[in-house]
Amino acid sequence: MIDIRICLISTLCIIGLIILTGCNDQKKGKEVTPTLSWYVFNEPSGAFAIAARNCSENSQNTYQIKLVPLPADADRQREQLVRRLAAGDPSIDIIGMDVIWTAEFAQAGWILPWRRETMKEAKADRLAAPLQSVMYRDEMWGIPYTANAQLLWYRTDRIEEAPATWDEMIHLAETLGESGTIQAQGERYEGLTAFFISLLATAGGSVLDTHNERILLAQQPTMQALSTMAHFANSPAADRTLSTAREDQARLAFETGNSSFMVNYTFVWSSIQQNVPEIAPHIGWARWPSLSTDKPGRTTIGGINLAVSAHSRYAQLAFQAAVCLASEKHQRIAATLGGLPPTITALYDDTEIRETFPFADVLRATLRDAVQRPQTPLYNDVSLAISRTLHPMRDIEPDKDYIRLRDAISRALNSKGLL
Amino acid sequence: MKKGILESVFWAMSNVLIITYAVIPMLWILSLSLKRGSDLNDQHFFPQTISFEHYRNIFTDMQFPSAILNSIGIASIAALFSVLLGMLAAYAIVRLEFPGRRLMLAGILTTAMFPPIAIIGPLFDMWRITGLYDTWLGLILPYMTFTLPLAIWILAAFFREIPWDLDKAARIDGATTLQSFIRVMVPLAAPGVFTTAILVFIFAWNDFLFAISLTSTDNARTVPAAIAFFTGSSRFELPIGSIAAASVVVTIPVMIVVLIFQQRIIAGLTSGAIKG
Amino acid sequence: MPQRKEQHKRRRNEWYQAWLLCAPAVLVLILVTAYPILYAIWLSFFQYDLRFPDQRIFIGLDNYINILTSAVWWQALSNTLILTVSSVTLELMLAFPLALIMYHTLLWRYAVRAATLLPYVITTVVAAFAWKFAFDPTTGFINALLGMEQAWLTQRWSSFLVIILTEIWKTTPFMALMLLAGLTLVPNELIQAARVDGTNAWQRFIKITVPMVKPAILVAVLFRTLDAFRIFDTVFVLTSGAQDTETVSMVGYNTLIVSLNLGLGSAVSVLIFISMLVISVLFIKGFNIKNL
Repeated sequence: MIDIRICLISTLCIIGLIILTGCNDQKKGKEVTPTLSWYVFNEPSGAFAIAARNCSENSQNTYQIKLVPLPADADRQREQLVRRLAAGDPSIDIIGMDVIWTAEFAQAGWILPWRRETMKEAKADRLAAPLQSVMYRDEMWGIPYTANAQLLWYRTDRIEEAPATWDEMIHLAETLGESGTIQAQGERYEGLTAFFISLLATAGGSVLDTHNERILLAQQPTMQALSTMAHFANSPAADRTLSTAREDQARLAFETGNSSFMVNYTFVWSSIQQNVPEIAPHIGWARWPSLSTDKPGRTTIGGINLAVSAHSRYAQLAFQAAVCLASEKHQRIAATLGGLPPTITALYDDTEIRETFPFADVLRATLRDAVQRPQTPLYNDVSLAISRTLHPMRDIEPDKDYIRLRDAISRALNSKGLL
Repeated sequence: MKKGILESVFWAMSNVLIITYAVIPMLWILSLSLKRGSDLNDQHFFPQTISFEHYRNIFTDMQFPSAILNSIGIASIAALFSVLLGMLAAYAIVRLEFPGRRLMLAGILTTAMFPPIAIIGPLFDMWRITGLYDTWLGLILPYMTFTLPLAIWILAAFFREIPWDLDKAARIDGATTLQSFIRVMVPLAAPGVFTTAILVFIFAWNDFLFAISLTSTDNARTVPAAIAFFTGSSRFELPIGSIAAASVVVTIPVMIVVLIFQQRIIAGLTSGAIKG
Repeated sequence: MPQRKEQHKRRRNEWYQAWLLCAPAVLVLILVTAYPILYAIWLSFFQYDLRFPDQRIFIGLDNYINILTSAVWWQALSNTLILTVSSVTLELMLAFPLALIMYHTLLWRYAVRAATLLPYVITTVVAAFAWKFAFDPTTGFINALLGMEQAWLTQRWSSFLVIILTEIWKTTPFMALMLLAGLTLVPNELIQAARVDGTNAWQRFIKITVPMVKPAILVAVLFRTLDAFRIFDTVFVLTSGAQDTETVSMVGYNTLIVSLNLGLGSAVSVLIFISMLVISVLFIKGFNIKNL
């Protein structure tokens, strides 16, 4: 028989171990200089790291910024962030917010609003579309840092003039045969939603009404958008792997040389210069294709805004740090080093920027016309509803899917849908 | 005998087939991890040029080394707890008659059949309120859901084989309870305990669902979760090379342990089934 | 009389000792299993979304009605059942020859047994990535090997194929080991006697081996079925549930962790738990398993 004593001793040891483990997780105690944790996706060129270092140095020891990398995928970034935010984690200070999270984070009380003075300053020198993306209920919830928008990229050695509309592009691509593939993003993720919303806006429609509370989805523009998607996905010009393609797959496929068209973000430019210098001189750019010749195409705006977490222990410092990080100097670095378009209007006329972005004018025009994705706290559910209904693109039937789409989005807006 | 040669060839071929079957995906991952970044799409099974760039990448990336540390720490502690608690319970189940014994066994079986998905919601809510979210303890405790029943099960099976009366014999010979325990019981029980620890460690090491639901950063993120969330070299890229290298690094220790202790492990896994 | 009292006291002592020994384990299990599942059941009756943390409304069975009238749930359930039944059946069919080979093999015994353990102990995520990259049309070797051009993970049925293949690859060895354990219980004398009686290998297999191995098979199949029903890692890595390959666990994960809809997600979890209970009960009753 085992002694009771042995039992008791073992149990006590176990409890002791448990407590010890728990103690090991204590966050570090007070530090001399507060460290602000900046949660943002892992930017490969190091532009964000440089910005963080600069701002830390220039702060005269009031704070140190530490970069905490998030996954590359926007969906995954959000997953990681919202969990921590919902858990009230005090270790998040500055958030590199994707433009689509503003309403959700603000409504849930996870981020802090900015002061009116800062808002006025920001309004003075920043582009309108990024500014709009940080507004929710008349308050500013972040400061625009970088922007992003899609352009049409095409092979100038195969096409004389960039097509103006989707139908024109598909037709041109089909006549080119094997090398005429159009690269786009068709996987079941945020990119597909963005694609749909871009087409919808180009057709003159909108997902939600102006108050972002109820569904609009007027029939005519929606049907037009859906038909275009179906037409594109079923055309021989679409890539075979369209339904699992994200931005990077599209880029890789374009770089192999077998495609003549691509709708993608501006990061592809530096990648092409580096990876396939033989194709680089033959790359042209144009506005996102339209649906009719009288109006230009509209595409969704992307980018990163900097927000301050509501649970941060150093909110005031975080605001200061964020202003520094999003300042002109660092937007310039993000642009020239990281290929990320700036949000400060003046920079689009700057020589250095224009060298990095020879397409700066087209980009600026695109950003001017850019469309916001629905700014509702339930955007994540709405986006899921859209991407799930419309995936895979080749199976879209405009009449049926119009109704399914309305249905799915209603359920999402009522937070009742099982998504 | 003619039959002998044909048979030998047959067995040899089937054995080779089995070994190939078991090993192919890992060989493939190994080969991917050694291919240069630009060669990843060359569709050859083996790399034409060997490059260690992916390994360099994952070790300079701040997240992977801490993920390994987390995995080792969490799995070890979970194994330790499970084995300690399991030993006590298994001993009671095997050696003592008490009311509620059957109920306990049934209860343990039920928890082993548990879908982890059913408790991640409440656990997330509980942990965020108590502050255990994204901590080692926050993973170790949920791991008990499957490691503890497993430990009890296997330990009970092993303990059933031990001649407990040797203990009595030792005491008749004059040893105290403690002495007989240490000198006689411990060596007999040790192999079973050791095997259980290994098996439990492996299961905890491989968990994915709890790891991705209850952690966020390198405070507590384990390797399987880290691999699934690897960042690539561009905003939109899937880092095949890094994932492959990380997979190799995370599999090699487990493989070595398994190869060394395979007999014990097999015994542990199967004893539950037949003597269960 | 004093003797019986003495015995009684000793038995009582034994009970207390036993409970004391079991207490830590039981406490931990209650804390991490029983309590959360009760909490989940509780949460499932509320509308509770962490994005609107101040609104926590009691809505009774509304969440359940929502789920049971949702196409997403039924699709996921049927997907899960398809995957479960296919995997377990194919595994069983593969595991038997594997077990027989492992049983009869002499020279390569250790190599083969170690080899069969490897897939089982490899992290599921790693295995899934290995097969994902293998089937990738640009990076993988499968297409080159078979001379095909298929984009496997873009279609529903080919995605299922890859998922099932990964699952089978990973867990057949475990089944084989269970069967092997059962095979070792078959007394050799019986086989020899039957051989002398002139039966052929197939007859011996069906009439002697299978019935004796049956209990081991049933336990292994039950565990594997329940395990397969909870499939998550493989699907998460291979398709993330796209192409209509979503499983019930993925629906749960998405609702709980991605959408932070704790009320609805808890209801999903409870439904999954109930489904597994139903499967277990059906299994045990159906095959009359007694010695659990």
